[in-house]
Amino acid sequence: MPSEIITLQLGQCGNQIGFEFWKRLCLEHGISPSGVLEDFATEGLDRKDVFFYQADDDHYIPRAVLLDLEPRVINTIMGSAYSKLYNAENVYLSKHGGGAGNNWASGYSQGDKLQEEVFDIIDREADGSDSLEGFILCHSIAGGTGSGMGSFIMERLADRFPKKLIQTFSVFPNQDEISDVVVQPYNSLLTLRRLTSAADSVVVLDNTALNRIACDRLHIQNPSFSQINNLVSTIMSVSTTTLRYPSYMNNNLIGLMAPLIPTPQLHFLMTGYTPLTSDSDVNSLQTVNVRKTTVLDVMRRLLQPKNMMVSTGPDKTNHHCYISILNIIQGEVDPTQVHKSLQRIRDRKMAQFIPWGPTSIQVALSRSSPYVQSNHRVSGLMLANHTSICSLFERALNQYDKLRKRGAFLDQFKREDIFKDDLNELDESRETVDCLVQEYEAATRANYLEFSVKRASEQEDPRTPDDAKSVAGGSG
Amino acid sequence: MSKGELTRKVLSDLISESETPYTPDSILREFRATDDKRLSVDELVGILKTISQKRPNCDEVAAEVKQVLKSKDPMYALLVFVKRYSEDCLTPRSSLKNSEMATVTTPLQTKSSIGASSVPRTSLAEGSHDSLGLPTSTPVVNRKSDSGANAAGRSQGNREEDRELGDLSLMRERLLLGASNRSLSTFRPPPTEKSLKSSSQKTLVNPPSAPPPTGVPEESRTHSLWDFNDVDGNSALDPEIAALPIESQQNELLTQLLYCFTGIRVPCIVPIPPDPSGGLSSYKTEFAIHNQVDRSLAELVRKILPLASYFVGIQRMVADLDGQGQVINALNAALTDVSHDFYLLLMQAEDELERNELTMQKLVYYMQPTLWVMEEIWTTMFGLQQGELRGAAVLTHLHGRIKRLEGDREAQKVIIGLMGKAAEPYMRMLQLWIQKGVIVDRQQEFLVEDYEEVHCNQLPEHYSDGYWEKRYTLRRDHIPSFLEKYSDKILRTGKYLNVVRQCGKRVMPTQQMHLEYDPTSEQHVSVINEAYYFAARMLLDVLLAENDLMGHLQSVKRYLLLNQGDFTMQFMDACEDELSKNVDLVLPMTLENLLGLTLRISSARDDPYKDHLHCELLPYDLVTQMSKIIKEDNKEEYWQTQDRLDLSGLECFAFSYEVKWPVSLVLNHLAISKYQMLFRQLFYCKHVERQLCKIWKENSIAKKFSPQAAELYRSAFTLRQRMMNAIQNLEYYMMIEIIEPNWHIFIEKMQAVENVDNVLQLHQDFIDSCLKNCMLSESSHLNRAIFKLCKICLKFCDFIQRSQRFFLDAELKSMVCDSSDDSSDESDPECLHRPQLETSLDPADTFSERVKRFDLEFTGILISFLQKINIMAKKNTADRFINLVHRINYNGFYTDLMDKLCMKDALG
Repeated sequence: MPSEIITLQLGQCGNQIGFEFWKRLCLEHGISPSGVLEDFATEGLDRKDVFFYQADDDHYIPRAVLLDLEPRVINTIMGSAYSKLYNAENVYLSKHGGGAGNNWASGYSQGDKLQEEVFDIIDREADGSDSLEGFILCHSIAGGTGSGMGSFIMERLADRFPKKLIQTFSVFPNQDEISDVVVQPYNSLLTLRRLTSAADSVVVLDNTALNRIACDRLHIQNPSFSQINNLVSTIMSVSTTTLRYPSYMNNNLIGLMAPLIPTPQLHFLMTGYTPLTSDSDVNSLQTVNVRKTTVLDVMRRLLQPKNMMVSTGPDKTNHHCYISILNIIQGEVDPTQVHKSLQRIRDRKMAQFIPWGPTSIQVALSRSSPYVQSNHRVSGLMLANHTSICSLFERALNQYDKLRKRGAFLDQFKREDIFKDDLNELDESRETVDCLVQEYEAATRANYLEFSVKRASEQEDPRTPDDAKSVAGGSG
Repeated sequence: MSKGELTRKVLSDLISESETPYTPDSILREFRATDDKRLSVDELVGILKTISQKRPNCDEVAAEVKQVLKSKDPMYALLVFVKRYSEDCLTPRSSLKNSEMATVTTPLQTKSSIGASSVPRTSLAEGSHDSLGLPTSTPVVNRKSDSGANAAGRSQGNREEDRELGDLSLMRERLLLGASNRSLSTFRPPPTEKSLKSSSQKTLVNPPSAPPPTGVPEESRTHSLWDFNDVDGNSALDPEIAALPIESQQNELLTQLLYCFTGIRVPCIVPIPPDPSGGLSSYKTEFAIHNQVDRSLAELVRKILPLASYFVGIQRMVADLDGQGQVINALNAALTDVSHDFYLLLMQAEDELERNELTMQKLVYYMQPTLWVMEEIWTTMFGLQQGELRGAAVLTHLHGRIKRLEGDREAQKVIIGLMGKAAEPYMRMLQLWIQKGVIVDRQQEFLVEDYEEVHCNQLPEHYSDGYWEKRYTLRRDHIPSFLEKYSDKILRTGKYLNVVRQCGKRVMPTQQMHLEYDPTSEQHVSVINEAYYFAARMLLDVLLAENDLMGHLQSVKRYLLLNQGDFTMQFMDACEDELSKNVDLVLPMTLENLLGLTLRISSARDDPYKDHLHCELLPYDLVTQMSKIIKEDNKEEYWQTQDRLDLSGLECFAFSYEVKWPVSLVLNHLAISKYQMLFRQLFYCKHVERQLCKIWKENSIAKKFSPQAAELYRSAFTLRQRMMNAIQNLEYYMMIEIIEPNWHIFIEKMQAVENVDNVLQLHQDFIDSCLKNCMLSESSHLNRAIFKLCKICLKFCDFIQRSQRFFLDAELKSMVCDSSDDSSDESDPECLHRPQLETSLDPADTFSERVKRFDLEFTGILISFLQKINIMAKKNTADRFINLVHRINYNGFYTDLMDKLCMKDALG
């Protein structure tokens, strides 16, 4: 069995997008909600065993582990048509069912407490695969379970499976609306630290951008969760399409990720997708979004910020640039067009690239599922490593700083073990995220190779690195 | 031969002779029918009579059969009938033909102007047998001495036996006389009229060395018949012609003239000895007319005399050419028919003469059209003779004449008639070839040649590359001009049929075709085209539909061109350990087993052709293979070479794909080798990519390092990324920009493919284009540069992996120190840990210095590689190499470096 991938779904958001993701995969591979291969889908040109395994009765079962601390979402899933799809043993609900109360620390410490049971499931799943390649984690960074428990599990996974990849689909909170989760900045920052240090690659799904796209591009006034999740599941499924429909290149997760991530820290990827249509569009062909698409069209549109699933805010100095790009293009593509399109983009300087290393737009032509009808000739997904992603982290830092200055809402954190003694954890996380922002900023400059991180407290005085230890130590 | 078969054969011969609409079976049915359904006796006899109407003894046989029918079973009567004709049938074809000729109507006659004479033919023919045995039997005898004479004798029936015998003996004597003359003359070149004359007198003292008359080769005997020799029995002709009154003189002259036309020496019209230099004169005779002949008559005679010259000349040429191949023979047969017609004309004339109705003017008038025709035939034949044309060239010549005679309908008609006959055996061969793919060509006249030794079953693996090209070839100088345009199609038609047959299928032509030469309707063109399309489609169907060529090609692309990426990955996972060994230590069985396993568990398991895939360890590296393929093309010896280099299994590994005939026609050994070359390069790049990915994962642990420490490794990481970029772009370039588009084009063109040659060509174009653009052609040394690039990447991976242990320890310890000491960062892990680390690696170099050295080396190789491509692209803008430069240098990162190198080169 080849390069299997285990999907972990954590928390309300993680389980919701995971649910959509599996729905989508079933559709694409012709697997019925109960796990039976549809009659029309027996050709077998796809690789189902990356994400599914076959039970003794030939049912396809997702390599998925569903974790949550409160039962609402998982109950919805188990009450749906897809309830039979999942391995019931892989669905874990904490006994008390009280959730994490949108508290990172609560989630984290509950993860600690439940780790044995959780890892029993994960170990069993890992043992069941011949050559496990890695884990895909679905969660949000703002809540409690996905962020807190997710952080904990990520750390453990990295320790336990050092050779396996950890990729996450992390949903970043919507900045445009006031969150009902007041401690969201704390949660985000703490999770970001783990995403930086424990995950190999993070696909950032920015709720801000997703909502904006739903409004502006899909013309949905008040996008519902399911509409947003539909977008997310599209991105998730397309980004794994080269694994499931193998061709020349990018047939495993590492081959997909490694070229995108030049140095270990710079592993936050953004995505773009075109053409964007909502469900209603798919049903009626007469919509504004349906147009003739060519490879160049797709690639050009993918470079437009409005199609990006991350809202990076305006880049006033215009210094941000692409570290790497991978375009996965599906549909009726004339392979001879690829080179011409690349040349055009290069000649017109449609994309700005890093000055400190060679990089290019890689184009993976992928087959797509024959069972899912699309009214677009060509569609494309971009996975890009772009320095402007750091604006997201800066935003998180700012919000954190505001909250932290006031020392607000720290009580509920202090209740948990990890913050019992001090709030070091928060400071260290801040530092990590700050370093990350600095590194991304540095990556826009030609002298990135010589760049060295400055501690937050001494940014004004970069020539005294020797004092750093005392200052950094003192803040703890 | 059984009775049934014999009956059938005789009947079918008779039917074809008489051109009646019966078949042997239909006749048999009539005779077998029960009483109530049977036809009446007279009707049955009528049938038999119609089919045997061409036979001289038709009436007697019919009468006999009628008698039998009255008393016995009809089948018995049929057998009697058959028996009567069976002797004729069993004698060789030529004699049959002669007997045919002895009868009157031949198809040619109706066409030729000679036959257009107004006198009713049949009565004349009867008359001819009675009155003039001599002229009619002459051509018969001159073609086939004994059997011909016999056949002729038999065919004329029994009633004239006595007379016939007399005639025959007379003729034989004359023949022998002439023959010995001739045989003597051939021994004494050059033959002059004088020597001939004298020898004719010397015949009585026939030298003992001369072969006995019967043993004399036919040609030499027959030729002398046309030398205007004296013939016994001509004594009746009176030389004192002037003494006769003008009326009698005319009659006498006419008689002599008629003799002269048949090549007999007469007193008043004497052939002038030809110029001994040969050439034209040996086939053209000038005559001197006796000076005592009345002038006006002489003038008339002179007018008509060329006819004798032409006729005799034609006969001489016929004699000279006899037995020089099928085409010539057929042409001669046709000419014999013409002579026969000519004799008939003479007979008519003679008839009139005897009735005292012929005058010289009348004769000239009668003979004028014949003269023109004869002249034309003579000219045509002379051209043949001069050019020493044989076989196809004869047809070409005749075809040319026909085209030239466009204005002269009558003459053209005659030549077309001749051509039609002459082309018959050739067309038969052609028909056999394009219908069944069989060559029956003992005289090597056909335009296709079969080299049997290149046989398909002998060389199971290597045959097809040579087979296709070499088994059947065109004889360029043996193509009749009217088939020139279609020669390629003709060659292919038969070739395809043969291949189809070798696939174990029966070649069953659906349409019944009849090929004959006809310059007006060009019917043969459509027949050839039809046969060609039939054969081409049939083989295409066999190859594409029954043997699923495209499926096989898909599979080859999947495995040998790494299109099935997941399979490749899995196979590499499985075989990594085995292939990293030295090639001599690699166990092929292990590889084969692992391959089998991988095929069964990967997504390739649904591929019906997966079992064609095998592992192969080639005893040489890619560069060597390349030079071999390109230099020696497909010579046999080089597949076993001697020098075993010190190579890893990986460098020697290749998949092979075994296919059976007829797919091996396309996927032959050479093609597979080419695929293997591509495979090796791709496979090697893939391997490097995997190694780079592997260290990427291992290096990702650096996330956990303190930011300050991570900085140290950044140079190593970015170098790794640059390598990754170069290698991946190389792969993308080869796969996405070369192989896939070319494949796309190939598939598209295959939709409209017409024949297998097309398929072969397209496939070769595809693979050659891939090879060339993947830098696997010898002329550029780019392939070596790629290899070097890969090598340095692998070395770097190795280095990083070795040092990983050390810096992992170093950094993680320092982090542990960090948190435990509370003295956050030791400011300089370099001072504390790095020195140890580096000493353990290499006492001379620090980690970063070594990375720097790798960097320099790698960059150097890459830049010079890119530069080389740049230079090549300037020379040849058609190549796509430059795309690779654009890819690797997409964001202009290497531009400065390349410019610098350019400057350096410019400065020297």
